Amino acid sequence: MSGRSVFVHDPGLEAYGFGGEHPFNPLRVRMAIELCEGLGLMEGYSFLAPKPATDDDLMTVHSLSYIRSVQKAGHDEAPLSELLQYCIGTQDNPVFSKMHEACALVVGGTIEACRLVMGGEAEHALCVSGGLHHALRSKASGFCVYNDAGAAIARLKEEHPGIRIAYVDTDAHHGDGVQWMFYDDPDVLTFSMHESGRYLFPGTGGVEEKGRNGGVGYSLNVPLQPFTQDASFIECFEETLPEALRRFGPDLILSQNGCDAHALDPLTHLSTTTRVYEHVPRRIHELAHELCGGRWVAVGGGGYDIWRVVPRAWAALWATVSHQELPETMPGAWLAKWGRQSPVALPDLTRDIAANYPPIGRAAQVEERNRKTIAEFKRKVLPLLA
Amino acid sequence: MLLVRDSMVREVLTVSPETTAAEALTLCREKRIRHLPVLEGGRMVGLISDRDLRASTPALGDANRAAALDKIRVGDEMAREISTADPDDPIEQAAMAMHERKIGCLPVVEGEDLVGILTTSDVMAALVRLVGAHEPGSRLEIAFPDRPGSLADVAGIVRDQGVNIVSVLSAPGEYDGGSGSVAVIRLATINPTGVVRSLEGAGFPVLWPPSTPGGPGQGL
Repeated sequence: MSGRSVFVHDPGLEAYGFGGEHPFNPLRVRMAIELCEGLGLMEGYSFLAPKPATDDDLMTVHSLSYIRSVQKAGHDEAPLSELLQYCIGTQDNPVFSKMHEACALVVGGTIEACRLVMGGEAEHALCVSGGLHHALRSKASGFCVYNDAGAAIARLKEEHPGIRIAYVDTDAHHGDGVQWMFYDDPDVLTFSMHESGRYLFPGTGGVEEKGRNGGVGYSLNVPLQPFTQDASFIECFEETLPEALRRFGPDLILSQNGCDAHALDPLTHLSTTTRVYEHVPRRIHELAHELCGGRWVAVGGGGYDIWRVVPRAWAALWATVSHQELPETMPGAWLAKWGRQSPVALPDLTRDIAANYPPIGRAAQVEERNRKTIAEFKRKVLPLLA
Repeated sequence: MLLVRDSMVREVLTVSPETTAAEALTLCREKRIRHLPVLEGGRMVGLISDRDLRASTPALGDANRAAALDKIRVGDEMAREISTADPDDPIEQAAMAMHERKIGCLPVVEGEDLVGILTTSDVMAALVRLVGAHEPGSRLEIAFPDRPGSLADVAGIVRDQGVNIVSVLSAPGEYDGGSGSVAVIRLATINPTGVVRSLEGAGFPVLWPPSTPGGPGQGL
């Protein structure tokens, strides 16, 4: 387990953000990267800058009329009435300057990461700016304008006929955009573990959403109860993903590593800690070596406690991608720099202390409900995977 | 629109009173349907369901089953008093009729002609469209007093937050012992926190989603 790992990044990727008080703040990427550097995890590694996705790349999963509107939006050339048809210019997805250029670079980053791994130049690759899993064919949704994972998967399928790709999404929100893009496709397994749509955007992602036509059995969903904590989250993950991946037999695993299931996240009701953000990448890494010669691409995703959670979660992710030990203490210079800006006290350890996250009062009921979901998943969906 | 004509199935499979039970059951199985209107001379004279047919024939495994299935005619077993719907009935009226009479389907009749059929699964599909469940959104349940203007106040708060409403349903008498209504609102946003804060600040309890374990909406 010691092949070459690549961190795909360019400062241009940090232009993807909606400004002001918007929760999707690109500062989180800056802090994560500086934390990787401060922890010494970039020694011997450099950042590989991607090229922007072309219109052709984007058109694998988006309509041309949508792309044209995004292009015009970022140069103030389209009326709001036109943009609102595509859900651009809303509170979630406001217009920002040169938004097409910024979004196309994110897509280019994930495509580049996938090509490096599939082409054998890297064993694993990470692009933390990627993971915009809600974007739909002709619609921005949930802070996502272009669907980078969707376009990268579509491109891989063109460049490697017959390839089988497993998309594994552990963001707290259902990975709906990617799921719908490949809902008919038996060569793309989409797996999403998320807070149940009864409680959280986008509302979809029930166990019964299992694919359509030839793709039946290739869309997998594990919806979790609100306030799910580490032990139950990890149990659900272990009871579903490894078996599904073994049955599917991927050639490459693309993981979306949103970290908004953390207890401190302001947008969701899940209650995990950094333990989950070490466990998930570690296991995906092992499964990639077991099943597909280590070919693993990781992208970021949601995560809205940008001070205390995102930098630590994604530094832990890079540590796993690059086969390095995660140091225990946060670097003093990093804490000094960001502590001045942060509205909340920053933790001085890279890992959460379990005692600070005691079991909630209803932990037993939450665990029980999640076990029912796993049982339903095993009964109704897993057997469909040959 | 949400009329029966917008949700009904227009291509209706029918049988005649002379059709055998075996033929009718085969049709049900192959087309995966449960109800067949019965036509005679172009006019609807009855309705037969796969359940009626099964109830009237010997059980699976019974040696007499095959012979009985060939002998029994649809005309012998069909229901003759049938509830029907008009294509211009509101979908909720059709749903109420099906619910109250405990029936699974309504043939849709315009004048003398059978023009469609509405089953529980068509009503379910209409419900899905009605609540906007196929569109990405965050689901909130909000309690408000049952008096003029209060839903407008709720909508105004959502508007002031710049959020689009995907769908809204409101059920009277569901809150606080019947004195208040509950609205189920689907918002086109991943981040309803601003709306929730403003609603609660204005005195509209947000019942769903629960904000803490054992907090509002503790029923989860």
